[in-house]
Amino acid sequence: MKRPITAALAVIGYVIMIVPIIFVVATAFTAGSTLRFPPDGISLRWFDEALGYEPFIGAAISSLELAVLATALALLVGVPVTLAVHRGKLPGKGLVEGLFLSPLIVPELVVGLALFQQLMVGLDLDNFSTLLVGHTALMLPYAVRVTGASLALADPALEEAARGLGASPLRAFFNVTLPILRPGIFSAGLLSAVTSFNNVPLSLLLQGRDFRTMPVTMLDYVQQSYDPMVAAASTLVLAATVVIAVIAERTVGFAKIFGGINQ
Amino acid sequence: MTAAAELIGVTQRFGSFTAVDEIDLTVPSGQLTTLLGPSGCGKTTTLRMIAGYSAPTSGTIRIDGVDSTRTPPEKRNLGMVFQSYALFPHMTVADNVGYGLKLRKVPAAERRARVMETLELVGLAHLADRKPKKLSGGQQQRVALARAIAIRPKLLLLDEPLSNLDARLRVQMRAEIRRIQAETRLTVILVTHDQDEALEMSDEMVIMNEGRIVQQGSPQQVFPRPADRFVAEFLGYENFLTAADGTPLTIRPEHLRIAEHGQGLDAKVVDVAFRGVDLLVSLDVVDPSGATVRLRADVRGDTPLAPGSSVTVIAPDDHLVSLPR
Repeated sequence: MKRPITAALAVIGYVIMIVPIIFVVATAFTAGSTLRFPPDGISLRWFDEALGYEPFIGAAISSLELAVLATALALLVGVPVTLAVHRGKLPGKGLVEGLFLSPLIVPELVVGLALFQQLMVGLDLDNFSTLLVGHTALMLPYAVRVTGASLALADPALEEAARGLGASPLRAFFNVTLPILRPGIFSAGLLSAVTSFNNVPLSLLLQGRDFRTMPVTMLDYVQQSYDPMVAAASTLVLAATVVIAVIAERTVGFAKIFGGINQ
Repeated sequence: MTAAAELIGVTQRFGSFTAVDEIDLTVPSGQLTTLLGPSGCGKTTTLRMIAGYSAPTSGTIRIDGVDSTRTPPEKRNLGMVFQSYALFPHMTVADNVGYGLKLRKVPAAERRARVMETLELVGLAHLADRKPKKLSGGQQQRVALARAIAIRPKLLLLDEPLSNLDARLRVQMRAEIRRIQAETRLTVILVTHDQDEALEMSDEMVIMNEGRIVQQGSPQQVFPRPADRFVAEFLGYENFLTAADGTPLTIRPEHLRIAEHGQGLDAKVVDVAFRGVDLLVSLDVVDPSGATVRLRADVRGDTPLAPGSSVTVIAPDDHLVSLPR
């Protein structure tokens, strides 16, 4: 290794990120009844408990519903907006793009409070609808950036080539542009679903008696009892997230996805 | 000779920039016409207007005698080959070539036959089921050609088709495109900035500069008689001098001869560069108007010439071209 200091920093960084996760995963497999490291023996009993614990199952389903719907909405709004920004002759392109990326910068607590005031108190919307609006706004930057990155890499002559061969503009879009953007849209969708599923601040502020997301439910649970079931639940969420991340990496690649966000 | 395409007073402005400035152009049917010029001369803009990708600010474009000025590209039935090839990455070679036929609702069996026939024409039938990414640059170029030809277009438009290929392949493809043009008898318009390419490939060459057509004719007509200094320089005339009556003259380096003494122009050797088969000699020459000009002569390698020596330069009358003042 030519640069020992950088290498050491990298190792420290990985250790800080990974070790706590290893602890959680390891304690989830304990046979004992306390969250302790090293675990007392090995068993799957806490996974069994977690999968049978009604509030967790309900919350996981709620979170999944929210994630899927918010992602779908974000893509439905974000993809056409990106196309308009990149290909159209939209006045104030930069402003529009900035607006759609702003949820990355505005603190989520502020967004949550604003939604609470305007939608729940002002318009008397239910928790779920308000959360859906909030999560959709939060997911928009992914849809806009990832689609934008794929679009920037696509040759504008492709659509022209299709037109020249006899395709109407709409046909050229569906036959050529959309298939080229599909992997980008797909991975944007996966990433925003994961982000929505794991979101705490918005969900915490906008929770209600009848609708609670998984992370909020887990938080509530930890405040009352401190047993390995919550570690088992976390491990399951982690496993699902890893699977989705691997799929996203395989289809488009993180470099492109996050490169798109940072550019 | 019928016109496959006609441009009448066509202008294209982008903001305050005039890319194409009121050009009139007749493209002869069944021939290969090149639009030649340096970058920014308006040649690609002209091609894109013919293809329908950008509408002229003013003027009329007729294709096959029909006013097509505002016709969208999908209704023109022209074959275009882009500089980047623009092959659809998610389709196989055969699907790329067959895309236009599919849009024309050609039945699958006939489509397959025509695709294979066109791929055979460009020598790529064995790669029909590959994805474009798996092909070399030269092969991608042929697929792009096949895709444009498969729809039996009224015109085949080529935008700098060879500029992304390496030097050897480029020379091969020149002959290849000529062969395909001869076999299909298509009217071809080719945009290039390479004068050798234009000379070798054209039936008709159209030289453009600053949005205007400066000269048009067969290579045999244009090459020995450049219309002005711009065309002369573009075609590789390097030497400019002035006649006794003030007429500007030009001559190619390979047409100058150097003698030790005798009838001709007095000159002093400035520099001699050995280039294998010949010598490139820079000279300060006193031209017929009395001015001293720097000329370059391309001479056979056995002439002993030392920098600083006085020589006589002979510029044969039949190679001297007069230019407009």
